[in-house]
Amino acid sequence: MNRPRRDPRTERAAHAVPAAGRPRFDLASDVPLTRRRRRDPRGEFARALVPGAARLRLDRGQTGPSDFVMAYAVGAEAELPQLRVVETPAFLVFAVLDAGEGRLSRFDRQALGAARLLADAGPGGGAVVAIVSQAVEGLGSAGADRVVPALGRSGDAADDHPPADDPANVARRLAALIAEHEPRHVLFAETPVGGDLARRLAAGLGEAILTDVEYLTARTASRASRGGRREQAGAPPRLMAIGEDRVADYAGIPCEARQIAGPAEAPSSGESPVLSVEIIPGDPATMSLAETDFVVSAGNGVTDFGAFRELAAALKATPGASRVVCDAGLMPREAQVGASGTVLTADCYLALGIAGAPQHLQGIAGCEHVIAVNTDLHAAMVERAGLAIVQDAQLVMPALLKLLKERAP
Amino acid sequence: MRIVVLLSAGRHRVSGRPSLPGVEAQAIALAAALADAGEAGTGGERPPSAMSFSGLHAGPGDEGIADAFGHGLEAIDRLEIAEGADPLPALARHLKEHPAELILAGRRAEGGEDTGLLPYALAEALGLPILSDVTAIAAADEPGALRFDQALPKGAKRRVTLRLPAIVTVHPLAPAPAPFVFARARRGVVRTLSGLPAPVAASPFAEKPHRARPKLMRSAAAGSGAADEAGDKLHVHPDPQEAARLILDHIERIGIRRYS
Ligand SMILES: Cc1cc2nc3c(=O)[nH]c(=O)nc-3n(C[C@H](O)[C@H](O)[C@H](O)COP(=O)(O)OP(=O)(O)OC[C@H]3O[C@@H](n4cnc5c(N)ncnc54)[C@H](O)[C@@H]3O)c2cc1C
Ligand SMILES: Nc1ncnc2c1ncn2[C@@H]1O[C@H](COP(=O)(O)O)[C@@H](O)[C@H]1O
Repeated sequence: MNRPRRDPRTERAAHAVPAAGRPRFDLASDVPLTRRRRRDPRGEFARALVPGAARLRLDRGQTGPSDFVMAYAVGAEAELPQLRVVETPAFLVFAVLDAGEGRLSRFDRQALGAARLLADAGPGGGAVVAIVSQAVEGLGSAGADRVVPALGRSGDAADDHPPADDPANVARRLAALIAEHEPRHVLFAETPVGGDLARRLAAGLGEAILTDVEYLTARTASRASRGGRREQAGAPPRLMAIGEDRVADYAGIPCEARQIAGPAEAPSSGESPVLSVEIIPGDPATMSLAETDFVVSAGNGVTDFGAFRELAAALKATPGASRVVCDAGLMPREAQVGASGTVLTADCYLALGIAGAPQHLQGIAGCEHVIAVNTDLHAAMVERAGLAIVQDAQLVMPALLKLLKERAP
Repeated sequence: MRIVVLLSAGRHRVSGRPSLPGVEAQAIALAAALADAGEAGTGGERPPSAMSFSGLHAGPGDEGIADAFGHGLEAIDRLEIAEGADPLPALARHLKEHPAELILAGRRAEGGEDTGLLPYALAEALGLPILSDVTAIAAADEPGALRFDQALPKGAKRRVTLRLPAIVTVHPLAPAPAPFVFARARRGVVRTLSGLPAPVAASPFAEKPHRARPKLMRSAAAGSGAADEAGDKLHVHPDPQEAARLILDHIERIGIRRYS
């Protein structure tokens, strides 16, 4: 559906014959086409066409190809590759991912999208190598051609010293990996873990780095400096830490995510100064709505608030509410989700008896997973949800509590 | 024990006037609390190795730096270097000649290059371990070590026991700085020492006025997990038990929580 677009300037440059004096061009030689994509209005039209309707009907609201389009375009589907394979890449682009708990965050996907952008733009086409510290799902569809597993682990010793996830250790392994593969770019996500690793590596290699990159294309990268008054810009350097929500994630054909060998054993620097490490998880009950990752929220459809609070505690989620509930004094004002309350950054939102008014939906626009329980099949929240249960919330809450008690060990 | 707080010449975010960055004021508060705890810990008598903490800055002037006196710092050393010169060699030499057990720095400076790279480069130059994003410091059971709390996303903490000497960067979630006392800021005198001449740091990047770039909209767009969940997303009037099972299975499948 996309055909490659011609770029007259590079074609001209490719045809140039080195000669003194006037420029000379040999137009008969073969010209490589550039890899930029171009919109195909006909293809878009065909995809929006609703078949079987008596009159011409177009459905432009779709984000991806739907079933009937697949049926409609069987012929075209056959020639589309189902998996994108880069067999011999001209160069490599590393994307170092946090990917805690074995799943990709939005931010990890954006880092992979940035790596994909740089890999596709370079001459000859590069490969994106995702570097993770544990097995992660969905790397292929996020744009990774290769995967280097287990950056943080130095074996299966449980009592290894220094601790396997000591960032100094991880940085050393990463430096060894970079020396081995010589990637053209190494990208990090500007998270506490990724940003720390990026700076350790830059200091260790003594290399220039752009941190908290605000703008990235194949030709330029820039970041704010001097308290946001000035910006530093230049050709993308080898090391970069990408800011959040700056680069779009990859949305093309899944890549193959082939596993390649992990880093060779990096030299350990003898005695580690880290004596012990302990992770203390945040307590969702006392966390603010803005920083939690899972919110359970009650709307006007909830009447039993005792059960609701108990449910939020049992689900290990932060309780929230719609404005109606807060106005009625049934929940504190800090719990209000929405345009005039808190705008969430949570990954998952469970809405009990909430209609989904626009002001409320604004507050959950960034939530990736929404689950709705509502008696009204036509509520806006049911439409927004990835899992919608049309059922009375007063019946579902005790059932959830009972099931949670059964499942708890 | 000697604690050094690294101070940078900051500019106020809004007014653009010289000021002390907030995290560095918080670093001073952490150092002061540690020094107090150290003195109290020895039961009132004079501890064998007295706690001392001071500020250190490398730069051409002390505008803004002197604010640190107002937040409770008692002594500040300034290493004289030229405008725009790299502070790293001067700081590294001074800290090699006058070693400190604990070096506190801000997470990012405000008003300079703001990369947050200096503490890492210093750690590399001095061969010290570095710990980032610290919000609390407490005494540890082992002698010659301290216990640090590192801020992680989603309210989590990482508690690390680290043998000193070490460099530590401070996170904005650390306790609030001591209130600013104008008279103390006026009284304090910055001690000037000679720095190390370094060439003006040549950055490979061009600098120009900042242009605001919009962030991407957050939405459950195609490609993110929500859009991938095909079919099986609407359940009309399921049995409540069945509904509960569906919800819990969904939460576990997307990997938010585990309940078993
Ligand atoms: C300027 C302005 C700002 C606003 N800002 C916000 C804001 O920040 N946050 C916010 O939330 N609102 C805000 N609102 C209010 C918003 O417009 C809605 O009025 C509000 O969100 C509706 O809350 P609700 O969905 O809980 O209640 P309702 O609209 O009453 O919906 C209740 C839902 O529960 C369902 N239900 C009923 N009984 C049951 C049951 N037994 N089991 C399951 N489901 C049941 C119903 O089908 C219905 O869908 C704002 C409004 C204005 C004008
Ligand atoms: N010239 C300097 N003198 C002393 N400390 C500095 C100087 N520049 C930066 N720092 C310290 O390093 C931290 C991070 O700075 P930066 O790498 O510039 O973002 C600051 O918060 C300071 O604690």
